[in-house]
Amino acid sequence: MSSSSAIRDSAKQILRIIEKLPDERIKHLVSFKDSQAERFRRVAGLQSTNNSEKKASLEDIKDIITRTSGPLGLQKDLLKKVQLTLPHDELTEQSIQEQMKALTNISDSKFKKYYEVGDKLYKPAGNPIYYQRIMDEIEGKQKETFLTALRTVVFGK
Amino acid sequence: MIRIASVCNSLLNQAKLVPLENRALLHKSSRLLDENKSKSEELKSPEDLAKQSHLNSKPIDFTNYAPVKPSKKKTLLSDSKYESNDYRLPKWKEAFGELVIRTLKLDMDKVRAGPVAGSYYYALCKNIALQYEGEELSNTAKFFYQDLKLPRTFSQWFQITILHEWLLFVRMRAMPFKYGRNYQQKLVDRTFADIEVRLFDEMNVTTGRIVDQYLKDFNTQLRGAVFAYDEGFYTDDATLAAALWRNLFGGRKNIDMVHLEAMVRYVRSQLYVLSRMSDRDFAVGSFKFVPPDETVERLSTKQEAQLKQKTIEKYEAIDNDPNILPSDKSQLSYKN
Repeated sequence: MSSSSAIRDSAKQILRIIEKLPDERIKHLVSFKDSQAERFRRVAGLQSTNNSEKKASLEDIKDIITRTSGPLGLQKDLLKKVQLTLPHDELTEQSIQEQMKALTNISDSKFKKYYEVGDKLYKPAGNPIYYQRIMDEIEGKQKETFLTALRTVVFGK
Repeated sequence: MIRIASVCNSLLNQAKLVPLENRALLHKSSRLLDENKSKSEELKSPEDLAKQSHLNSKPIDFTNYAPVKPSKKKTLLSDSKYESNDYRLPKWKEAFGELVIRTLKLDMDKVRAGPVAGSYYYALCKNIALQYEGEELSNTAKFFYQDLKLPRTFSQWFQITILHEWLLFVRMRAMPFKYGRNYQQKLVDRTFADIEVRLFDEMNVTTGRIVDQYLKDFNTQLRGAVFAYDEGFYTDDATLAAALWRNLFGGRKNIDMVHLEAMVRYVRSQLYVLSRMSDRDFAVGSFKFVPPDETVERLSTKQEAQLKQKTIEKYEAIDNDPNILPSDKSQLSYKN
């Protein structure tokens, strides 16, 4: 019994880490944060927030359809099956500790800091504003206009 | 034009035989660490990291075990003798090629994009996760299919391949624009030309219409993956992990976080190696992916200076040689 309560405690800690993960900047078909929160909420013995009941709005669906015709190359029924099936995790104290440690490293950006590549790659010589433009667009700071899009198509940057 | 390209190719083959200084330096430190056996957790290779996980979770994936079962197996690159490793051009053809390059003043950095990015780098990416039924997996393929428990399917192979191509794209962007862009173009062109042939020959698709559909789908996947990885690369590890989870791991619910961590580490370490490479070194094809069972350790400032010094000496010697062949010339910087 003590081990199962230890697992539940660890799962709660994992949930706390997951909540701190950054939100998706644009909407995807599946969200890493949501799906993992759901998974560990069950392990922690907490009530599911019933995210699955929340229907996607028409805007969301339109957005996703116009961006990808065949999402992830998966057939639609297969995708549904994947989403509905619950994973059967056989978590032990050891394995949940490992999961937590790994997740902590990810959320702390440990490897981005350790393997620092510097401005050579973040501001690439061929196109220094490449990444900044992507970030501005998805964060809504500076939207691309028809003309800037045309310029990218014609000149490549 | 074929001759010119093949001149570069034969040069490239020679280049491949030269021990890769840069990699050697990066890897030397990891070897030293192996000897000391005092591998702290900090320095585990992605493969060791993935293997240590004790998570037991079912079902891992829905896509079945479906190794590629070719009716007619395609060679790694092409059947053309100009792309084989052993072929050497006859001397007179080589001399003629050099003459053409000299008289037409061809920009070798542009010409080299074909044999380096389209042939050599594509072969690197393709080879990482290539798998056929009844054949033993390569060491890198074992890491992806066995340690990370990814499904053995054609589309999974594609996902692993485009991850590696994206790694190269990141470096290519840091080259001068017109060259970097050309390298990217050659790599993508080759990828889709190759997949088209493989779908017909190895996946036994018989109609062109269905192949076209697949190609469009793969194209969508490539764009999505490049965008997602770009975002993750620029922001933080959590975003990169989510991008890897969506693309490489197919969004599986019971993802093993240790595997995800191993992959984030793998990607970041490859980018680190790429970032320490000069344009010139990268453009002549001296890069190889670090295998997942090796650890990349950061270079100290002193090592970095040494590495730069060596690269500069190497290419100064080439550039200052009065007998330099026209096909060896390059305008790309070796000092960055």
